[in-house]
Amino acid sequence: MATTTATVSISSTDLTPGMPLSISASTTLNQTGLTTGLEIVDMGYGTLTVADSHKALHEALGAADTSNYLYLCNDATEATSYIEVVLHDTVIGRLYAGDWMFTPWNQSDGDAEWSIEAEGGSCPYAYAIYKSSYVLPDSTQGTLNP
Amino acid sequence: MATINATVTIGSDITGQSVSISKTMQMTKAGTTLGLENTSGLSAKTVQTTTAFKLFGNADASTLKASKVYIRNTGSSSTDFFYIGFGEDLAAATIETIGKLYGNDWMLIPWDAVAATTHDIYAKASTAEVMTLEFMAFIE
Repeated sequence: MATTTATVSISSTDLTPGMPLSISASTTLNQTGLTTGLEIVDMGYGTLTVADSHKALHEALGAADTSNYLYLCNDATEATSYIEVVLHDTVIGRLYAGDWMFTPWNQSDGDAEWSIEAEGGSCPYAYAIYKSSYVLPDSTQGTLNP
Repeated sequence: MATINATVTIGSDITGQSVSISKTMQMTKAGTTLGLENTSGLSAKTVQTTTAFKLFGNADASTLKASKVYIRNTGSSSTDFFYIGFGEDLAAATIETIGKLYGNDWMLIPWDAVAATTHDIYAKASTAEVMTLEFMAFIE
C-alpha cells in the first residue's frame, strides 16, 4: 500500500515582533476513516490564459464524503497574475504568483467541482489530487464485445 | 511589512515511483511583492461537541485580497475528524463543505473574505469526544 505524506512549515521572524513564528506539521494521508494509504493520484500542469473561462480542475467523480486532497500552485512570476480558485459556486480565494494551497476535499456532493481561472496575466500551474480508491465510471461507449 | 514563508513537501509512492513535490511561497499582498502584515494569531480550540463553531469571520479580512488560512487537527485519530467549510451547517448539501481533517491533517488555503456570512469559515467535529483544532489566518 502506498504511503503519502504532506508536510508544511510556516515561519516568520517579524510578523509578531519579539515572537518568531514557527509552525511545522506533517500528516500521512489515508483512505476515508482508515489507516490504509491513498491509492490514486492525478497530477498535471498547464497554463491558464486570461482569455480562458473558468476551467474545471477536477469534477466531483468520487464517492460522497470521502478523503481526498488537493495541491495546487501558481507558477506565474508577475505579481499581478493570480488564479481564482472556486469550489462549486463559492470563490475560495486567489493564488497569486508563487502561491500554493493544500486542502482536503471530501467531494460531499455532485457539485463539489474545483475550477480555476487566470486573472491579470497568464498563469502556469501545477496540481496533484490524491484520492481514496474508487470504482471507475462506466464507459459511455457501451459494450463493444457483447 | 513582514516576511512569512510557507513550504509544502508532499512525498508519495502511489505510482510505484517516489514522487515528491516541494514548493515555498512568500505570503504577499494582492498584486504586490510586499509581505502580509496582519494575523489572527495562532489559536487552538478544544471541543467536546458536534456543534459547528466559527474559526474566521468574513469581517476579519477583506475581499479580493490575498489572505490565507492554516488549520490543523492536532489529534491522531484515523476515524474522528473535523469538517471544514464555509457556513455553519457543515456537511449539509446547501453548505460549501471543503473537506475533512483527520488526526494530524492540515490545510493551507487562500481566503477571499467576501463580506457575507457565506464566507465565514467553520469547523465541526465528527464526534463528541475531545478534539482540538489549531488555526491561524494571515490577513490582508
